[in-house]
Amino acid sequence: MKTWLFNPFTYIAGGRALIIGLIVMTITLSTAFYSNTHFDGAIDAHIGLQAPFLLYVFEQLIAWGSVVLIFFLAGMILSSSRFRFIDIAGTAALARAPMLLVAIAGFIPALHNAKPDHIDNTVIALSFIMLIPIIWLIALLYNAFTISINVKGTKAIAGFITALILAEVLSVSLNHLIQPLFIK
Amino acid sequence: MLNTERKLPDICPSCSAALQVTSLGCDVCETTVSGKFQLPILARLPADEQKFIVEFVKNSGSLKIMAQQLGLSYPTVRNLLDDIILKLKENEKAQI
Repeated sequence: MKTWLFNPFTYIAGGRALIIGLIVMTITLSTAFYSNTHFDGAIDAHIGLQAPFLLYVFEQLIAWGSVVLIFFLAGMILSSSRFRFIDIAGTAALARAPMLLVAIAGFIPALHNAKPDHIDNTVIALSFIMLIPIIWLIALLYNAFTISINVKGTKAIAGFITALILAEVLSVSLNHLIQPLFIK
Repeated sequence: MLNTERKLPDICPSCSAALQVTSLGCDVCETTVSGKFQLPILARLPADEQKFIVEFVKNSGSLKIMAQQLGLSYPTVRNLLDDIILKLKENEKAQI
C-alpha cells in the first residue's frame, strides 16, 4: 500500500504511466478551471484568479514539462545508466496526481474570501491541509527521479533538490511570460 | 534432516575475505579433487540475483519480458540489472 502511494513507479512507468498521468492531469486542469486553482509552478498552487481555460492547460503543461526537461538534463549529467525519456515523462505526469486534491480543495469558499490583510485561523488551517498533497507530490517526484534515471544516495538527494529548484524557477518564469497573454 | 536450501558461502565469516574452493568431490566414485579454485563471478552473487540473470538469459535479454514476468516497471527492472552489472564489475576488480 505504502509503495503504491509513494512509489507506484516500481510497478508503473513509461507509456502506461504517461497515459494515466495525462488523464489525471486533464481531470485536474478541468477541475482547477471551475475552482479557479492555478498550478503556476512545478510545485505551486494558488487559488482565486478567474482566467480562460487555455491558461490552465498551459500552466499544467509548463509545470509538468519543466520537471521533465530538467530531470532529463539531470539524468544526462548524473546517471551512468541508460534511461528512457518516456519513463521520465510518464512518472513525472503520474506524480502530479495529488494536485487533483488541491484543485478540489479550491472549491472551499473560505480560501477564495481570504485577503492578504485579513487571514483568519480557518484559512491558515486549510493552507496547512493543502500542504499535504504538495508534500505527497514532492515525494512522488523524488521517486520518479530516482527510478527513471537510476541514481541513489547523496547524488540522488542533492540532484533532486537542485533539479526541483531549477524546474520551479523555469516554470514560474515561463508562467510569468504567458500570463499577460491571457489575463488583461 | 531438515530439507532447507543451503546458501553457498562466498565470504569468510572470520576475516570477510572472499572464500575459495579447496575441495571438490564426486558423489558416484567418491573421488576428491583438492586445490585452490576461485568461485566463478556469478556464483558470488546472491541467489536472487543469480536467478534474475538466469531468467534474463532465458528471455533473450528482454527487459520488457522480464518486467512483465516480475510484475515490475521497465526502469525498476533495468535498475536491478544495472545494480547486478555494478556488482559483477566490483567482483571482477576484486579478483584481479
